[in-house]
Amino acid sequence: MLWGVGTTATLAGLIVAGSRNLAHFDAALVAYTFSVLFATFGLTYRYSMWLQRPPTGLYWSRGWQAFLRPRRRFANLRSWLGRMGSDVLANRFIFRRGPSRWLTHMLIMWGCLIAVAITFPLVFGWLYFRPVVGDLSLYEAVIFGFPAFRFPHESATAFFLFHGLVWASFAVIGGVMLAIRRRMRDDGAAALQRFGEDFMPLILLFAVSVTGLMLTVSYTWMAGHAYSFIAILHAITVIGTFLWLPFGKFFHIFQRPAQLGVAFYKDVGRLEEAAHCRRCGHAFSSRMHVEDLILVQRQLGFSYEIPGNTAEHYQWICPPCRRASFAMAQSVLWRGRRGGAALPTQAGLLPMPTPVNNGLGEGPLGEEDAENFHP
Amino acid sequence: MAVPAQLEFFLDPSRCIGCQACLQACTECDTHKGQSMIQLDYLDRAYSTQTAPVVCLHCETPTCAEVCPADAIKRTEDGVVQTARKPRCIACNNCVLACPFGVPKMNTRMNLMMKCDMCYDRTSSGLKPWCASVCPSQALAFGTREEMMRLRPNARPVNAFQFGLQIIRTKVNVMAPRDWPDEVVDVTAAMYEPTIGHDMLDDIFVNIGDEV
Amino acid sequence: MKNSPPASTPTPALELETIRRFGPHVVHERESAGDSGADKLVKTHCCFCGQQCGVQLKVRHNTVIGIEPWYEFPFNRGMLCPKGIKRYLQQAHPDRLLHAWQKDSATPDGFSAVPYEDAVRRLAGEIERIQREHGHDAFGVLSGASLTTEKTYLMGKFAHMCLRTSNIDYNGRLCMVSAAAGNKKAFGIDRAANPWEDILGAEVILVSGANVAECAPITTNYIWQAREQGAKVIVVDPRITPIARTCDLFLPVKPGRDTALFNGILHLMIENDWLDRGFIQAHTAGFEALAESVREWTPGRTAEVTGIAEKSVRQAAEWWGVAKSSFLLHARGLEHHSNGVKNVMSAINIVLASGRIGRPNCGYATITGQANGQGGREHGQKCDQLPGGRDLSNPEHRAHVAAVWGMNAADLPSPGVDAYEIIRKIDKGEIKGLLSICFNPVVSLPDNNFVRQALEKLEFFAVIDFFMSETARYADVVLPGSLQEEDEGTVTQVEGRIIRIKKAVESPGDARSDWKIIQDIAQALGRGQGFTFDSPQSIFEELRAASKGGVADYSGVTYERVEDNFGVFWPCPDEIPEGAPALGPRGTVRLFEPGSWNPVAKGAGPFYFPDGKARFNLTPYVGPAEDVDAEYPIILTTGRVVSQFLSGNQTRRIGPLVDHYPEPRIELHPRLAERLGIADGDWTTVESRRGNCTLRASVVRTIRPDTVFIPYHWAGRKSANQLTISAQDPISKIPEYKVCAVRLRRADSPPEYAELLQPQQ
Repeated sequence: MLWGVGTTATLAGLIVAGSRNLAHFDAALVAYTFSVLFATFGLTYRYSMWLQRPPTGLYWSRGWQAFLRPRRRFANLRSWLGRMGSDVLANRFIFRRGPSRWLTHMLIMWGCLIAVAITFPLVFGWLYFRPVVGDLSLYEAVIFGFPAFRFPHESATAFFLFHGLVWASFAVIGGVMLAIRRRMRDDGAAALQRFGEDFMPLILLFAVSVTGLMLTVSYTWMAGHAYSFIAILHAITVIGTFLWLPFGKFFHIFQRPAQLGVAFYKDVGRLEEAAHCRRCGHAFSSRMHVEDLILVQRQLGFSYEIPGNTAEHYQWICPPCRRASFAMAQSVLWRGRRGGAALPTQAGLLPMPTPVNNGLGEGPLGEEDAENFHP
Repeated sequence: MAVPAQLEFFLDPSRCIGCQACLQACTECDTHKGQSMIQLDYLDRAYSTQTAPVVCLHCETPTCAEVCPADAIKRTEDGVVQTARKPRCIACNNCVLACPFGVPKMNTRMNLMMKCDMCYDRTSSGLKPWCASVCPSQALAFGTREEMMRLRPNARPVNAFQFGLQIIRTKVNVMAPRDWPDEVVDVTAAMYEPTIGHDMLDDIFVNIGDEV
Repeated sequence: MKNSPPASTPTPALELETIRRFGPHVVHERESAGDSGADKLVKTHCCFCGQQCGVQLKVRHNTVIGIEPWYEFPFNRGMLCPKGIKRYLQQAHPDRLLHAWQKDSATPDGFSAVPYEDAVRRLAGEIERIQREHGHDAFGVLSGASLTTEKTYLMGKFAHMCLRTSNIDYNGRLCMVSAAAGNKKAFGIDRAANPWEDILGAEVILVSGANVAECAPITTNYIWQAREQGAKVIVVDPRITPIARTCDLFLPVKPGRDTALFNGILHLMIENDWLDRGFIQAHTAGFEALAESVREWTPGRTAEVTGIAEKSVRQAAEWWGVAKSSFLLHARGLEHHSNGVKNVMSAINIVLASGRIGRPNCGYATITGQANGQGGREHGQKCDQLPGGRDLSNPEHRAHVAAVWGMNAADLPSPGVDAYEIIRKIDKGEIKGLLSICFNPVVSLPDNNFVRQALEKLEFFAVIDFFMSETARYADVVLPGSLQEEDEGTVTQVEGRIIRIKKAVESPGDARSDWKIIQDIAQALGRGQGFTFDSPQSIFEELRAASKGGVADYSGVTYERVEDNFGVFWPCPDEIPEGAPALGPRGTVRLFEPGSWNPVAKGAGPFYFPDGKARFNLTPYVGPAEDVDAEYPIILTTGRVVSQFLSGNQTRRIGPLVDHYPEPRIELHPRLAERLGIADGDWTTVESRRGNCTLRASVVRTIRPDTVFIPYHWAGRKSANQLTISAQDPISKIPEYKVCAVRLRRADSPPEYAELLQPQQ
C-alpha cells in the first residue's frame, strides 16, 4: 500500500515539475491524468503484493543477487542487453510459439508503446510544441520544460510526429484483428479463452484505436463534426483501459520482465553445483534451485520431508523418478492379485526411467526439459 | 463451461502396455498441437516392459501453482489445474521441479511451461480427454464413478497420496484393490521398489546359454 | 563359430535415387494455418489391422486433417492405437503417386511419368501378348487383404473370368491361412467363433502367440476387463510382451514347439478327466484316436520340448481344465510355422475337449492380422477359391459362380498355387507377367533376396499402389491406386462382423479407385463383360448373389443393414429355411450355438460338417523346418511393433510413428549378449543361410536367452526377411516366419546404410 501511495505521489510530483507547475498542462486532459495516476497506484500495489508471495520474493531477491554478482556485472549487463533485445523488444520466444502470433504481438506491443511514448508526455505536459518565434515555418519541441529540437512544418519529421498516433492505431488494429481471427478460428484457442481474460483486452485496445482514429477523421475531413462526442468516447475507452491495467491480462506487461531475472538465476545455477537425484543418482537441476524450493515449500506450508529416509526431502527426487515412484506405489497395491513379481535389479541406485519416445514433441521439450528429464 | 462433476478420471498404471496411443493422441490436441503433455516412461526397460503413464493429477492444493512466482497456474472452479498462462509464465522451472508427480514440461524455446489440462476443451463440453478416449488398455479411463465401480468390481478409486509427511489430494483417481484397507497411497514408501514382471530366468534355462 | 558371412548371401542395393524421389519420407503434421476446424466428420474405420476400430475422420477442403474418436462404435468405443490416431497423415502425403509411372533407365530414379490411359493400354497389351505366347497361366496376379471385400471379390473375378489364369493369390497367405485351414478342418467354417464381448465373462483366457498389446491393442481392454471380473490370463510367448508382463501364468515357449505344448495340456486334461464328455460325445468326432496320440506327451516330455517349466505346464492345464468358461486367442505366433495348421488344430483340440464353445463367454478365435484379413479370404482371391468361401475345384460351386458371372463354368481356370509358389514359378520362368496390388512381397515375403531376384526375371510387371512401395520399384508400370479413405466399401473384421468403409475424400491427381483401374484394364483388354460396375455397392450386390448358399453367405447383408446395426456378422443368408432359428439384425453373432442351423449341417448339429459335428484332428509334433545347429545356434523369431504396420509402406511415411520406433533393433537376452560381447545399442550382424543384416542391439531380459527377435516392417538392408526361411506349411502354405536358425556377432563397423538412409527408408 505504501509503495502504491509512494509511486503515485512521485508521478504526481513529476507531472507538476515536468509541466512547470502545470503551466503547460492541458486541462482538457485532466481525466486522463487522474486515470493514469490511479492505474499507477493499482499497478504498484499489485506488484508489491505479488512480490510478497514467497516464491516471487525469493526469485526477486535471487534474481538481483545473480545479476549483481561481483565480477559478473559487466557480463550480466551485456547479456541483459541481449535478452532485452531478443526477448522483450523482438519477442523471440513468441516467434517460436508461431510466426503469426509473433506478428500479432509485435503489432499490438509496438503500437501501444509508440502511442504511450507520444501521449503520456503530452498529457502530463512534459512535451509540447510551439512555433518558433521569428521563423514561422519551424516548430520547436519542448520536453520537460526544456526546448529540445526544431523542425520544419512541412517536413517528414512533422508528418510522422503529428500522425504518430495514427500509425500506432493502425498497428494495434491490425494486431487485434489477427488476434481475434485466431481466437475465432483456432479450436485450441477457442477451448481455453475466456471473455474477461482474452477478449476484453482486445476489445478495449480496438475501441481506443478506433475512437482515436475517428478523432483524426473528424477534424481532418469532417470539419470537426461530432468531434466532442468522439473525444468523450475516446476518453472513456482510454480511461477504462487504464483502470483495467492492474487487474487483467495487461498486468503481464509489468510482470513479464521478471523473465530476465529468471534467466540470470538459471545462469548461476548452471555454473554451480548440480542436484543429484537420490533415487537414480543423475544430476537434474542446480543444488541452489532445489534448496530454494525446499525453503519456499516450507514457507508455503508444504512438508515433503521424508523422516528416516536417506532422500531426506522429496524435492531431492528427480521428476522422472517421481513418476516412477508414483506408478510403483500403485502397482505394489496389486501385488499378489495381478500377475508378475518384483524383478531383481542390481543393488544400489535404481535405474533412471527413460521416456518411451524422444521424437518430435513427445520427449523433453528442449534442452532444459531434457535436463529435467535427465541430462 | 466446466467439467461435469460426475465425470472423473481414473488412472491404473499397472494396466499400461506402453503402446503410446496416449502420447500420439495428446499431440492431436489443438491447444498444443504436435506436443504431448502426457508423461510415459519405461521404468527399467532392460528388465521389464513396465511403463508409467502419468497425466496431471490435478491436486486440490497444487504445489506447482503455489510455487509459481508469476501466479501463472490457475485451478478452475471445477478442480482442473490449468496449464501456465502464456502471458505470465516466466519459465522459471519451479513447477517442473516441485510437482510431486513429475508432470509439467518446460518448453525452453517458447519460455513456457506446458502441462496436461485434462483436455479442458473436450472435458468442459462433456467429452472424454484424448488419452482416456483412445487408451487401448484403459489404464487411462474417464467416466462416472458408478460406471467404474461396475466395470471393475474388484477395484476402487483412491485420490490421496503421501510424500514423506505431506498428503496430497487430487481430482484424478488411481485404482486400488477394493478391499485395500488404507485411504492414502504412500508414494515415498514405494520409491525404491523394483519393476514388476515375469523373469525369463526360469530353472529350465540354466544351460541354454551354454549351447551358444 | 565362423565369423564370415556365407559367401553367396546376396545383399539388396540401397536404391538411393529412387528413395530420394519417392520416399519413404516422413510427414509429422498436417499444416492447418491456424485453422483447425473441420468441414465434416466421416464415420469409418481404421485402415490398418483386422480389429477395424471405428473412427471419425476430420475432413476440410478434401483433405483429411485429423481424427475424432467414434464413441458409439461398439467394438472399440473410441479406443485407438497410435497407428489409428496418426493414420490421417498418409492422406495428402508428398510421396503420394499422383499419376502413372513407367520404368525409365534414363532417369536417375528409374521412373518417368506416363499418362494413365497409356499405362493401362501398355499393361493390357503385355497381358494379351504374354497370354497369347505362353498361355493364360503365364500371367499371375497378387492381391491383398487390406482391400475392401468388394475389391477382393473383383480381383478374384478379374483373374478367374477376365484373365482366366489359375495363378492368383493374396498376401493373406502370409497371415491368416493357417488359422483358416485349421478352422475349416476342425469346425468346417473359417471365422472367429465368438464376438469379442464373449471374452469379458471368461474365467480363463489363454493367449497363444499373440502380442496383443502391440498387434491388436484394443483387445487388451477386453482381456483386462475380464481380469477385473476375476479372469486368469495365461500367455504363451517366447517374449515377455506387455500383455504378458502382468499375466497370471507366463509360458515362455521355445519358438516352433506349440503343438507339443497343447498336446501336453490335452494329455493332462485327459489324465485328470478335465473333459466335457457329454459335449465330446454329442458334438465331436475323432476324440479317441487323438487321446491315444497324446499319451506320449507327459508333462516331463512337454517341458523338455517346449522349454517351459513342468510346473507351469501343469498349472496351465489345471486352470484350463477346471474352468467353467474360457476364451482361447491365438495369432501369428502360433500360425507362422511350417506346422502352423497343426499348431492351430492342437489349440482347437483343447477347446473342443473342454466343450467350452458356442456359448456366452466360452469361445475361441484367431486374431486376424490385416484390415480385411477375414473378408479378404472369403470371396475368391485365394488360389483355390470362389466367392462365398466356395471351392474352385468343386463342380457345383463352379457352376453357381459361373452362372452369376454369366460365363461358361468350363472356362473357369483350375486352382492355382500360393503366393510364394507364384514367386517360384516366376523364378522358373513359368509365369512371365505379374500384376500386384496391395502387396509388398519384397519386404513381406521370407527369404526376400530370392523374391527380388525372381521379380527381376519378369517380362512384364505392373503394380497398383498409392505409394512407390519397395515392390513397385521393380515394376515396369505403376498405376496410382486409392487409399482406404478415398473409396466406399465393406470389410469384415476380426469377429466376422461386416462393416462399412466410407469415402472421406476424392483421390488426388490421376489416382483413382482400384476397382476402376481393374475395370479399365479389362476394357482395354477387350474383355469388359462383367466389369462394368458403377459403384462399390453394385459390386457388393453381385457378391451377395455369388456368395448365396456358400458357407460365407452374405446374401442377407445390405449396406443399410450394416450401417444400422454397427455391422452384420456373416453367415447372413437372406432366406432361412422353415424351422431354423431366425437370425437377428446383426446376423450370426456367435457360431456353433446349440440348435443353430447352417447350410452344411442343415440342422444336424451346430458345426459346419454334414453330420454337424466338430472334428478332433491328430496333431503329431514335428519340429521347425530349420532347427538350430552348431553353425547357426540361435533361434530367430520375427514380429511386429505397435507403431508400424506390415511392410510399412504406409506407416514408415508417418513421422510420429517413425519417431516411436525408428529402426529395427535386434532384441536379445543379456546372457546371450554377454557371451557374444554385445552391449545395448551395439551394431550387431545377424546371419542365416539366406542372408545377413546389421542392426543395433537391444539387450533386454524380456526374451528367451536362446532366441533373438527382429521386427519385420523395414525394407532393403534392414529387412528381417532377408534372413527368414521360405519353408511353408504343407496345407496352408504359410511361411515359417517365426523360426529359423541364425548366428550373430558384434559388427566391426556400422552398416553402409547408417549414414545414407533415414531410419524409415
